[in-house]
Amino acid sequence: MSGSRARRDRLRGRAGRLQGMDARGTQLLLPDDLSASGAADRLAGLVPVVTQAAHSIDRTFWDTFDGRLHAAGLALADAGNRLVLMDATTYSEQASGEHVRGARRLLLVDLPAGALRAALAPILEMRALTPIARVRSRLLPVNVLDDVGKIVVRLRAEEPTALPGAKAKLALRPRLHVIAVRGYDTEFDLVLALLTGELRLEAAPRPVLDDAVEAIGGAIGGTSSKLRVALDPADRADAAAVTILRRLLAIIESNLPGTLADVDSEFLHDLRVAVRRSRALQRELRGVFAPEPLRAFRDGFRELQAVTGATRDLDVQLLEFGELAAGLGDGAAADVAPLRRLLELRLVAERNKMVGALRSRRTRALLDNWGDFLDGLVLATEVDRPDAARPVADVAAERIGKVYLRMVKMGQAIDDDSPHEALHDLRKKGKELRYLLEFFSSLYPPDVVKPMVATLKGLQDVLGRFQDREVQADLLRALGDDIAAMEGGAAALMAMGVLVERLTEQQEQARAEFAQSFEQFAAKPQRKVVAKTFG
Amino acid sequence: MTTVVALYNIKGGVGKTSAAVNLGWTAAEQGARVLLWDLDPQGAASYLLRIKPKVRGGGSKLVRGKSDPAALLKGSDHERLDLLPADFSYRNMDLVLDATKRPRRGLRRVITPLAADYDYVFLDCPPAISLASESIFATADVLLVPLIPTPLSIRTYRQLRSFVADEVPKPRPRILAFFSMADGRKTLHRSIMEELRAEADGVLATAIPAASDVEKMALQRRALAEFAPRGVAAKAYGTLWDEVRTGL
Repeated sequence: MSGSRARRDRLRGRAGRLQGMDARGTQLLLPDDLSASGAADRLAGLVPVVTQAAHSIDRTFWDTFDGRLHAAGLALADAGNRLVLMDATTYSEQASGEHVRGARRLLLVDLPAGALRAALAPILEMRALTPIARVRSRLLPVNVLDDVGKIVVRLRAEEPTALPGAKAKLALRPRLHVIAVRGYDTEFDLVLALLTGELRLEAAPRPVLDDAVEAIGGAIGGTSSKLRVALDPADRADAAAVTILRRLLAIIESNLPGTLADVDSEFLHDLRVAVRRSRALQRELRGVFAPEPLRAFRDGFRELQAVTGATRDLDVQLLEFGELAAGLGDGAAADVAPLRRLLELRLVAERNKMVGALRSRRTRALLDNWGDFLDGLVLATEVDRPDAARPVADVAAERIGKVYLRMVKMGQAIDDDSPHEALHDLRKKGKELRYLLEFFSSLYPPDVVKPMVATLKGLQDVLGRFQDREVQADLLRALGDDIAAMEGGAAALMAMGVLVERLTEQQEQARAEFAQSFEQFAAKPQRKVVAKTFG
Repeated sequence: MTTVVALYNIKGGVGKTSAAVNLGWTAAEQGARVLLWDLDPQGAASYLLRIKPKVRGGGSKLVRGKSDPAALLKGSDHERLDLLPADFSYRNMDLVLDATKRPRRGLRRVITPLAADYDYVFLDCPPAISLASESIFATADVLLVPLIPTPLSIRTYRQLRSFVADEVPKPRPRILAFFSMADGRKTLHRSIMEELRAEADGVLATAIPAASDVEKMALQRRALAEFAPRGVAAKAYGTLWDEVRTGL
């Protein structure tokens, strides 16, 4: 099974319901000299068919920015007042629900409760759906019948046109959808053999939607915020740094419009991760940059991280609010409604500040100058850049080894009396190591890197919970006075007290787990392997 | 959440199969994903949908969990309506169920692995009251009972209600009844319908008329919505399904 197929099946598996009624199917391209009705006529000479009346359908297709439906082999289209989730290849319907007309963005909560929302929930999570292409198709349904006149194979000849604007039309390749009827696989194979053999039709390399997205200049399969860079161990360190940082800059740029428009919380999340990763690389590979320009960029990126922090904290608080409130039981969950309103108000205020900062000339200049700086880095003088021309595998190994050892020392110094800051500092260092491994792990043996990543992840989960619960509890405490002044504030305040207590318990629990997870991370055999591999 | 609707009556020839096929088709037409299990060894529902009444391995393997029910399904002419066909071996269903450890759970064992893929499962049940019926009662969320408005038919309905109330362990299926093959020109039909609607809970307002379209289904081998969508019978099934769905 290919990787993409396995991913598709995994995603569909998460959506449980989407597997049962899936029909087998494929798409064949109709050549220029064979119209839809011509194909139907030729097929009628070979097997009994019944052709139905042709009709046209206008559909707007929706997906998340990162193409989650595409990755699952699905397509979501609205035609009139219904949203229909279907197999991208066969158009077989998986679930449907009422569509809110005029909506330009759909979060899971905007969808009507029922089969459609249930099917989409595990795929979308917190991501929003936005329109990605509008397609008008002329469809000619042709059914292949058995000897008692029952439909045993469904064919749909489609002549699609992408509609990028009010008047523009872009003709796409016509095709024939061949769809199996459940329990009639032999007939499907036979018809497919006739179409590819007698009629010499060739398989369509991709669904109509992909053709439409490409025709209107979109990104097939959405825009990924994954790092995915290929490095060679012998690459110059500065060239490798540029490759990674260029990709991170592209991720920042691609997530900026969605962050400004507040499409969903993941745009800001992905933007911030890319900023944080950029800062980590600026710091860890500082020997490939000249100190002075680097200082200015580091200041700029730190500022970028800072202006987005409060909005992200509130996003997280609201994303987790339902779960947190549910733990309080029915009555108390209603009591914290004023808290939610206050968090939402704060979010609006913080978001406005953030949007102002991100739209500023200063931010634009920072990103443009950073891109220009990266473009010129490899050819710049190597004075003050001692690591620039060294093989990246050597430079990265030094940094990974040193950060790991630093973490081991920091962790060994932590005991029951250590202040919270000691754990927070260790978490920050752990993020640094994690990013280094993400950037450069492909340069080293997987049997060394994988266990290292696994134990680091275990440790970071514990440290992350420890810090997040503290941040959440602090935020709630800080809101106390404002909540008290609101209607229903007294009850909310009491419920918040329970929440803070619960968060504190969870933080203590994380602290209790620290020793064990650190022990695994810093175990002697692992230290030896790290020392051997990363010097 | 899948709802299992059993078209059931102790008597035969009351319109169970017509109702199962037409209600299943209507539900599919409205966007639901529907499975129809033709439990009657006569295989009339399978016949109406032009599907061979044959199940590989027979009913015995099926209820004993030795066959994969998903592999036995057949797609109908409606994209959202699948059929688990009849098989002549279903005539021995009582014996087969009796030989299993938990006979009442026999049918549920078949449906459970399929349920996630369907919004509604319709059971077209054979006429009888037997061990198979008890398994139907333990499986269905609703017994949908077609009644011809005659005194004997009403008597059997009362027997059924008593049996379910007294003999069927909880959770019991809900019982909904509708009049089938009703002839508004007959005084007897009209008076019986009025009497029962006033007397018993769960008697639906919609009646399926005795219409020639329904008889033509066997010639056409299609659901009414396919060949006589504007006829009174097709419309009555549409209204009936709305009423059942609302009641659910």
